Amino acid sequence: MSNLNSIQYFIPELFLTAAILVLIIVDLVLKDRKGHIIAYLTAASAIIAGILAYQQFNLPAASLFQGMIVVDSFAIFFKILAAFSTAIIVFISLDSFGDKAEYNILLLIVTLGMFLMPAVNDILMIIIAMEIVGLMSYVLAGFHKKDLKSTEAALKYMIYGAASTGIMAFGFSLIYGLTGHTNLYDIQTALVNGHANPVAMFVAFMMILGGLGYKIAMVPFHFWVPDVYEGAPTPVTAFLSVGPKAAGFALFIRFLVTVIAHPTYGSFGSFTQNVQIQAPLLLAVLAVLTMTLGNFSALNQKNIKRMLGYSAIAHVGYMVMALVVLNNDAFGAVMFYMIVYLFMNFGAFWVVESFASKLGGEEIENYKGLGYRDPFTAVSMAIFMFSLTGLPPFAGFIGKVYLFSAVIKQGWYILALIGVLNSVVSLFYYLSVVKSMFLRQEDENVPIQSSLYHKVLVVIFVVPTLLLGVYWQPIINFTTHSIGIFFGK
Amino acid sequence: MEANQILFIAIALLTVLSAAMVAFSNKLIHSAFALLATFTGFAMLYVYLSADFLAVTQIVVYVGGILILILFGVLMTHKIYSTTKKTAHNSLIVSLLGGILSAGLILFIISKAPWAPLLAKGFNPTTAIIGKEILTGYLLPFEIISVLLLGALIGAIYIARAEDK
Repeated sequence: MSNLNSIQYFIPELFLTAAILVLIIVDLVLKDRKGHIIAYLTAASAIIAGILAYQQFNLPAASLFQGMIVVDSFAIFFKILAAFSTAIIVFISLDSFGDKAEYNILLLIVTLGMFLMPAVNDILMIIIAMEIVGLMSYVLAGFHKKDLKSTEAALKYMIYGAASTGIMAFGFSLIYGLTGHTNLYDIQTALVNGHANPVAMFVAFMMILGGLGYKIAMVPFHFWVPDVYEGAPTPVTAFLSVGPKAAGFALFIRFLVTVIAHPTYGSFGSFTQNVQIQAPLLLAVLAVLTMTLGNFSALNQKNIKRMLGYSAIAHVGYMVMALVVLNNDAFGAVMFYMIVYLFMNFGAFWVVESFASKLGGEEIENYKGLGYRDPFTAVSMAIFMFSLTGLPPFAGFIGKVYLFSAVIKQGWYILALIGVLNSVVSLFYYLSVVKSMFLRQEDENVPIQSSLYHKVLVVIFVVPTLLLGVYWQPIINFTTHSIGIFFGK
Repeated sequence: MEANQILFIAIALLTVLSAAMVAFSNKLIHSAFALLATFTGFAMLYVYLSADFLAVTQIVVYVGGILILILFGVLMTHKIYSTTKKTAHNSLIVSLLGGILSAGLILFIISKAPWAPLLAKGFNPTTAIIGKEILTGYLLPFEIISVLLLGALIGAIYIARAEDK
């Protein structure tokens, strides 16, 4: 579609860009009288952008700006997820950064990047969209300027990020050399019709995985995770573990179904590799490594943020495991899991964030006796932990069932078995938090008063975690309708 | 051997050797100056690919801008000449093995893969084409980068600014 005609389909992104500029001016005008106004405006803009994106849901899919990006239900699903997670994060960080205009503006710019990442249709746009999200995340990770750990987190994040983007760009240059195109659909056509060298294709795939795997924190590109998750301000950690990761998965899936595979002729919803390079096997090996390493490293963590960081790696492992089978079942399962993960992970991080000062730290030890000091929060935290483990009847269980069933249906039994065994391992460290809260206590239990705001947010996270564990059909219908991936230029 | 082949090899040698010096030198100032040669070498290689606009941009932005900034940074840093041995040297065998392996792999790919056919193009000026493409086919990336730069600007100011007293 031509540039001028594309603008009518680009309204959510245009709105976000306008909101960013308006917020900068509002900040200038208000000077010191602003309070939390900027934060509320940020959340409102994110939600409106999400609604605008949802309005495009039933439009016929098309490619915009001469093949640079596409608008299809798959991209719109992840746009809504991105907008929602940004809005939530604004409320999670209201106490710490509510009055910081820069923080909220950077969050909105990341949101714009997360709107573009699922929609990319050109190598150039992949790199630009990933850099928008990446660059802003580096600053957000180091937002506590005077905290040494936060600064270290930002620096480590940036150095790893720059290196991985460089490797990914090199991989893309190989793809460009093999096909002569930068448009993903053109690349797919050229690879299907041509005779690309499998070794070259495999090496290019590995190099591009360096960039994509870094974004979603997949082994062996995970080295930044523990330090960044521990050092960054807690709301930023929560954000990084959900928002950019979801966008990264969207980009990953779109990359897999264009550059690596193409829709199988005559069989809806399944994909065949463009060049036979054993991509599923490679992904399977990486998935096993990711979940095993994540779970076993989480076992002896004392800091709860670090523990959640390693467990986030494990969850990426489960999702990559589903991608191995390369069909619509798996993509739907990953999308559903992303929604579930959003609620339970944000919930856990919100408890960590709002109780860090009340408990005197972020060590698991600090949670000793919380079950007697603030039963409401402790029970909620226990629900998040059980759900993250994947125990019934919580949402995490349903999410995992879909992931595993997608894998088992295609006959990857050993892979699924390793996944289940890993879930058992994860039970140990998630339960250690619960054990600390309920089975151990101080000599005297001083009750903790938590604010209404804290309770309301906890309820917002707990209710979906419980509800999606028993009644998930509407959400599954929505994700199934959202797998309309557009192929074309 | 023809003259332009000899010239190409000379440029390639200049680029690779100076890049090696950037990596291996123990003194920051030596690395900074070696980088000058690397960037210039790159610009010359772009000329070989008949990308004249890119070559000039490379010199203006990297040699003229970024490198001077690095040199200023070196200049302003206290006792820069006496800081040595900051480069970490990993185990020689492991690094050598890794390097040779990746070099071999890339060489294999370059020699074996059937690359997409080169466009037959002479040494024509590209600036006008680039200008036109930026406002037609590449309009979206061009505009989105401005948001990226805006964000980078805000972030850099926030990080670098002194806290309110």
